[in-house]
Amino acid sequence: MSSVQVALGSRRARPLLSLRARTLLTGYAYLVPAALCLLATVAVPIGKAIQMSLYADVLFKPQDYRFIGLGNYIYLVEDPVFWLSLWNSFVWVFGSVVLQFVVGFAAALLLHQAFAGRTLLRTLLLLPWVIPGVVVGLIWEWLYQPNYGVINDLLINAGLLHDRVAWLSNPDLAMAAVVFTNVWRGIPFFAIMLLAGLQAVPDELYEAARIDGAGVWARFWHVTLPLMRPIIVVATATRIIWTFNYADLIFVMTSGGPANATQITSTYTLMQAYANLDFGYAAALSVVLLLVMLAFTAAYLRITKGVEEAQ
Amino acid sequence: MNERWLLSRRNFLRTLVGTGVIAASDLNWWDAPLISPRRAWGAEPVHFQFSVPEPTRITLVTSLVERFNQSQKDFAVEVEFVPQAQARQKLISAISSGSPPDLCQIWDNWLGQFQGMGALEDLTARVKSWKHQPDVQPTAWQTVTVGNAIVSLPLSVTLDAIFYRTDRLKEYGLKEPTPDWTWDDFLALAQGFTKADKNQYGYGMRGAGTWAVLYPSEFAYANGAEVLKDGKVVINSKEGVDALAWYMDLALKHHVTPPSAATDGFVEIVETFGRGVTNMYQHNSGSVGQQKKNVGADKFATLPVPIGPAKKRASFYFSETLTGFKNARNKEGAWQFMSFMLEDEPSLMYCKTLGLLPARKSILDQPDFKDDPALAGFRNSFPFTIVSPYLAYAGWGGKLDSDGVPLMQQAIVGKISPKECLDKFADILTKNMS
Amino acid sequence: MRARRISAGLAERLLAGPVLWVGLALLTAFALGPFVWMLLTSLKDRQELYATPLQYLPHHVTFENYVEAWTSPITPFSRFFLNSLWVCSVTMVATTGISVLAGYAIARFRFAGRDTLLLIFLATQMFPSVLLIAPLLTQWRALGLIDTYQALIYSNFSFTVPFTVWMMVGYFSSIPRELEESAMIDGCSQFGSLCRVVLPLAAPGIAATAIFAFVVSWSELLFAISFTTQTSMRTLSAGLLYMVGQYEVQWGPLSAGVIMSTVPVAILFTFLQRHLIHGLTAGAVKG
Repeated sequence: MSSVQVALGSRRARPLLSLRARTLLTGYAYLVPAALCLLATVAVPIGKAIQMSLYADVLFKPQDYRFIGLGNYIYLVEDPVFWLSLWNSFVWVFGSVVLQFVVGFAAALLLHQAFAGRTLLRTLLLLPWVIPGVVVGLIWEWLYQPNYGVINDLLINAGLLHDRVAWLSNPDLAMAAVVFTNVWRGIPFFAIMLLAGLQAVPDELYEAARIDGAGVWARFWHVTLPLMRPIIVVATATRIIWTFNYADLIFVMTSGGPANATQITSTYTLMQAYANLDFGYAAALSVVLLLVMLAFTAAYLRITKGVEEAQ
Repeated sequence: MNERWLLSRRNFLRTLVGTGVIAASDLNWWDAPLISPRRAWGAEPVHFQFSVPEPTRITLVTSLVERFNQSQKDFAVEVEFVPQAQARQKLISAISSGSPPDLCQIWDNWLGQFQGMGALEDLTARVKSWKHQPDVQPTAWQTVTVGNAIVSLPLSVTLDAIFYRTDRLKEYGLKEPTPDWTWDDFLALAQGFTKADKNQYGYGMRGAGTWAVLYPSEFAYANGAEVLKDGKVVINSKEGVDALAWYMDLALKHHVTPPSAATDGFVEIVETFGRGVTNMYQHNSGSVGQQKKNVGADKFATLPVPIGPAKKRASFYFSETLTGFKNARNKEGAWQFMSFMLEDEPSLMYCKTLGLLPARKSILDQPDFKDDPALAGFRNSFPFTIVSPYLAYAGWGGKLDSDGVPLMQQAIVGKISPKECLDKFADILTKNMS
Repeated sequence: MRARRISAGLAERLLAGPVLWVGLALLTAFALGPFVWMLLTSLKDRQELYATPLQYLPHHVTFENYVEAWTSPITPFSRFFLNSLWVCSVTMVATTGISVLAGYAIARFRFAGRDTLLLIFLATQMFPSVLLIAPLLTQWRALGLIDTYQALIYSNFSFTVPFTVWMMVGYFSSIPRELEESAMIDGCSQFGSLCRVVLPLAAPGIAATAIFAFVVSWSELLFAISFTTQTSMRTLSAGLLYMVGQYEVQWGPLSAGVIMSTVPVAILFTFLQRHLIHGLTAGAVKG
């Protein structure tokens, strides 16, 4: 370096912030757009809803509107339909997500292989996800119809069934039927997410494992899964949250029936809000559901070590 | 409706007329006003929410709106179509956020709750000086009166009757029922209509939706039971329980109902009859139009509900209303449009096209309604029809859906006894009398 | 050399052969079964639709359902299409941009409250969207955004952004940090290394996130109906519901509408698939 450059270098102004501070600020700056979005659309309404849950707010009884503190929550704890709906929610969520994950992962593995027509098949397998949930509900309700639905028709013609089964009207079968539909709808989500994750696993690791004598299963268990852990956790966590709140399908197919067999907490909330116009109670139900999901997610992330980087 | 829509349809029709493909007089009644919609200057907008958008209704309502807009220059109605399942949510949200539409088309069983919210406009004064006031049936006025205030105009009225297949009646050699048939006749007919091997059932029982509670209640009335007596809930009287037991036996003992009964809503019961899977079902006149297309106008007819052991019967009367809101911006325009819709021709065309019954007696006596055999059962039910007793309290509306229906569903699948069902139901009703 | 040519075990041969084909066949049948039924339904006229016993193949193929849906001035599917396309494309692009930035920040920068922030993002989704309608309606009305595309796009952010941020965090976490560090040692700035090194590697994840944002807003219904009043501003999901009448579902036009509504997404995904390929990380880390 010439003396001029050295001279210039020594008189270059010291940066205002240290490297560490700059890094931190950049990090926060990257977060600003996302935070703004959420603040405007979600944070404020949630705050309002929490406030609403502390009042007796039945829309057609405005003269009874008053602060009742935990009154709605006490009613909730004593409400047998609430506990039933909570149990149904767990069945709904775990049934759906576990099956979606397993079949979706299988689909991702299959679509990861190279074969002719792969692009077309990947596109076709995306389709169940594309239709609005309400329409999916209508279509599957039609398919499940005992007397003129395709499912019964095919099963009876194939000799696998003798009597027409009322899939959605039988309290013992209804939940399984709606879970099945939800699985149909949710497989593409996992297939795509996990497929993207599979692409990031380097080939060399597989080769190295194979050279070390690892068989197919061992490679899957020791190479694929650990590297995909962050994505698996993210995909399952987001799907669990989504499914907990997903009311459309059940609302259309069974309205929570028969006799509350498929009533999950989010459909119960909908009914309290729009049939009974009891917004105070509906808000309380939502808050409780929020707390349940928060607790569950926190625990889930801790157990699976969340999105810590894959080693 | 937006400009582009009207323009395209208008041009299309103009071309057809201009090229002589169709004569101007051959246009469907509802296309005529769309040939030359007038855009009035300075017309105040009137926001109208209509809640059953399907192609027939959309065409019909749009045409009626256009006729109204052309007939005067003070107001221009803009209609918003909201899918039925979301209509209630949307109205409630709009009311809560302080900006309801100027008027909407809703059912009378929503009025109690909305009035409780203080959302509806009191039309009593306007109605008293309205020229067609005496022509509207008194029962219709009852359905739109909450407290002492008239809050809507009844656009169309409906009550329940039994649809049945006349062709299959002959095919199976069953006895032709008369309008004064009894419960025993009904059961015999249902059993005769049930051919499980042919996948046919006698009675499409309804298990889902508010009317799943109302239909058995109508049967309960035929047995001498009532919902309210002297201000007390008595639906679970002995007569009520016996009636419900008889009704549920249709499913549990006689198996004349299809296996899907517990979750069949109105769409299902209409479709199952339309496909020939059920040979009888109970519904209001709204599905007459569909059945004429699905089954064929010559293959079915309607009858009043059968007479019960107490030598009585009841059919609950409902109305589809045009309702205005207190916080609306353009209440005068809303009233003008409402009264227009109940004029002779609009009312006739609306009800005739959709198979509904007009609220005005003079229109009901016209040949379109008088001489239609498919509407015979409904006409014959007017003498004994009553306003639904469940409209008595605003707090009952939601409870029918959230509690009444699950109870009925449990009874249909045999999980609880009719007595248990009605006892619990009466309990809920009593707790929510407000 | 001998190591490379270790013969594939029986399990591997099975997996590459029959298991692959049987698995794909089953999967395709399961996923596409209802669509095949919808397709057949859309080609039937009303009489064949209501025939009993159930008729599978249409004897008399008719395209009237498609023509009716597309050209009907009452339910202008062409218009609904455009609305949906525009709203969902903008949502997709904006959401991807926002979540790439946010996801990178959360994955890479260790700052206080990182885990809590992640949980908060997710917590915003634990609330039923139905209860959000009234406050959002007031908000959009106050801003004069009813019957605009903006209201729909901003409302879509409320459920696309939290999930996409999470996903990007997941994908970025699976890219080794050493790659950027070696780029920065070579003179790149943090942002530069993001653009030049990380983004290409995260391309599959970004593609997946983009398609997620698009699909999820494509099938969104509640906000579309709540924040628009004119038929000309309705989206495809709302348009499909116009086929559900008071007492019956018009299966013919509805099936036609459903089949048509899958086309744009299929086309988009065919393009995005380019990025869902393997091998971008091969040889990326030396030694």
